[in-house]
Amino acid sequence: MDYWPHLYLLVFILILWGLEKLCPKFMESLEENFLVLIISLIMAVSFGQVIARYGFNTGWSAALEFNMVMFSWLILMGMSYGIKTGIHLGVDIVLNAVPHKLGKALALFGALATLVYALLLLDSAWLAAMGVDVRGGAIEYWAKMFKINIGVEEMRWPQFIQDWFGVRERVQRWLVLIMLPISLALLSFRSIQAFFDILTNKRHMLISGHEAQDLVEENKGVLRD
Amino acid sequence: MEALILFALVLGLLFIGLPVGIALGLSSILYISFFSNDSLSSIAISLFGVGTHYTLLAIPFFILASAFMSTGGVAKRLINFAIASVGHFRGGLAMASVLACMMFAALSGSSPATVVAIGTIAIAGMRQVGYSKEFASGIIANAGTLGILIPPSIVMVVYAASTDVSVGRMFLAGVIPGLLAGAMLMLAIYVVARKRNLPAEQWKGIGNLIRGGKDAGWGLFLIVIIMGGIYGGVFTPTEAAVVAAVYSMIIALFVYRDMGPLKETPWVEATDSAHARIGFNGSVYGVSFFIVWMIMSFFALADSETVTLGDRTLWGLIASVALALFYIYKRSGDIHQSLVHCLVAGLPIWKRNLGAMTRAFFPAFFGGETRKVMLEGTKTTVMLMFIIANALLFAHTLSAERIPQVVTEWMLGVGFNWFTFLIAVNILLLIGGQFMEPSGLLVIVAPVVFPIAMELGVDPIHLGIIMVVNMEIGMITPPIGLNLFVTSGITGMSLARVVKAAMPFVAVLFVFLILVTYIPVISTWLPYTIMGPEIITK
Repeated sequence: MDYWPHLYLLVFILILWGLEKLCPKFMESLEENFLVLIISLIMAVSFGQVIARYGFNTGWSAALEFNMVMFSWLILMGMSYGIKTGIHLGVDIVLNAVPHKLGKALALFGALATLVYALLLLDSAWLAAMGVDVRGGAIEYWAKMFKINIGVEEMRWPQFIQDWFGVRERVQRWLVLIMLPISLALLSFRSIQAFFDILTNKRHMLISGHEAQDLVEENKGVLRD
Repeated sequence: MEALILFALVLGLLFIGLPVGIALGLSSILYISFFSNDSLSSIAISLFGVGTHYTLLAIPFFILASAFMSTGGVAKRLINFAIASVGHFRGGLAMASVLACMMFAALSGSSPATVVAIGTIAIAGMRQVGYSKEFASGIIANAGTLGILIPPSIVMVVYAASTDVSVGRMFLAGVIPGLLAGAMLMLAIYVVARKRNLPAEQWKGIGNLIRGGKDAGWGLFLIVIIMGGIYGGVFTPTEAAVVAAVYSMIIALFVYRDMGPLKETPWVEATDSAHARIGFNGSVYGVSFFIVWMIMSFFALADSETVTLGDRTLWGLIASVALALFYIYKRSGDIHQSLVHCLVAGLPIWKRNLGAMTRAFFPAFFGGETRKVMLEGTKTTVMLMFIIANALLFAHTLSAERIPQVVTEWMLGVGFNWFTFLIAVNILLLIGGQFMEPSGLLVIVAPVVFPIAMELGVDPIHLGIIMVVNMEIGMITPPIGLNLFVTSGITGMSLARVVKAAMPFVAVLFVFLILVTYIPVISTWLPYTIMGPEIITK
């Protein structure tokens, strides 16, 4: 197996890191806008489908597939975004009960575990090198798809793209799947960042104790006597 | 033995503060790496494949709908409506809070959000008229849990997706238990109110009730769109969710105007004359009636061969024009103005509002506030979906190792019957509900419990409702129920005080849990009457 996809992912992460150092505000809103754009696209396409089907008895045959791919992208992109913003839920009773130092150690362990999760799913070769009988990973699967270059089921390129770029009619499956290695690489990157943020006390925890933490924080003690 | 390692790993990782998704996912992939021959490629691709669960695609849109409905004044409108309907009973304000929680639950589906939205207004209101803070907070903490039981409910979507039962039936099954739970809480309040001689509000007349209903109506119509769309056979649940999200967005931006560019623009300005208002109101009623009629008749008659779109439009037009004219005629008599005069005077208000809406159209959809609400909804979605995706991975690992079958055989072997089994499910979920987010817990528990339940002859829909009610009660069971935390957070009371305050009503909900668990007909009657029985194919 070749290592060029690994290299590209590394370069991508390094560029991202550099850009985020240069213009953090812009990159943050870029990421958020991307997420909002995906969910708006799904919403627009689904609503358009409802109108087209019940109003005009027509529709876009690839709408369902498009929505599902976008939904997957949203979930995958959300993994790393959630680690970055600390919105992923976790059980915080032990973290809050133990002494501060131990709590910090546990939070650091959490960041490491997230890194292991992401790297294992990305490519398990490093664990296999340690003698565990395991194989495969996102990169391997993606590389296979890239090599055989098959298309997805429904989605087609518009005619002009077919003409200009000389691509085949159906959208390539590797193109759809590319979000998988990218998002896992991003997740690794974010967990390394979280690790150092916790280490340097810039950040207290990896997780959020419950889903309404922000909401309660906003309204904290509004009814206090 | 190996299965025990898997469970121990999940619990261990969970308690030392890993994100729930990572705890589930990492345990699964470590288990597969060490004990199984599966390639991790297939695990990675199944992570990608979570998006292909079409039913789960409803979740982001129910979240978005509730995000738009939770902006600004909807809670206030619901509370006003609730007070107008039940406020005049003894302990009326408390009962109205329960009713408001039920209605808000139907719009939002999130328990903590319900506690914050209704609680911040209602607890203050109750204290003003002399209720104790404990009593008020106890009620809100309990009533807030109805969020996941009253449809539309995300937890039900998750249950339906992980066991392949129909979302429509689950939603319908939640209706009667939801109303029952609300009624039981209100009854308990009434009894306490009688004994302690708590105050009643003044009955302000039917006009006040109608006014409240009109105001809250646009929000509550969301439920009609979702339920009507699904049961009219018009929408799939996912489509219903999308339509609901778009509807709430339009209502929040253009009708209620709680957010966006029209925030400071009221429909009717103080300078508009009385007869212009009457004309405008009348025509608004006409237009509203027409919209509601077209939607409702579409749901009811979409498959009809004999009634065409033209017929429905014609009848709707006639009825709404008649309604508008009748209202204007009735009210214009009061101020001695002619009907036509009023109607014509109302037109400039229409022109002004339509103009403002057209100008605000693009700014509204692409504006900062809309983006903010969308982002909030997206955050909740990715947080929830991360757990669900990994829980599916975990469930997949469980079934690949045939763990549900082993548990089933064991449970049947030691002589569990449906009665004792349901007790076991109750206890398992009450404990689990303390530590886990409800939908994540459901994805894990359902694949294990479901086959056993089917073996013992428990109804699949009934089982779903039992599980949902258990999660609901898990949110207010000490020591670490979520709603207790949230209530303690907003009231500034200590957790122990909140627990003590909530206890009497938790007891009521426990009685409710027992009723729901052992009387299946409460959950199954409505869905099976309307949609026929759920058939499980194995």
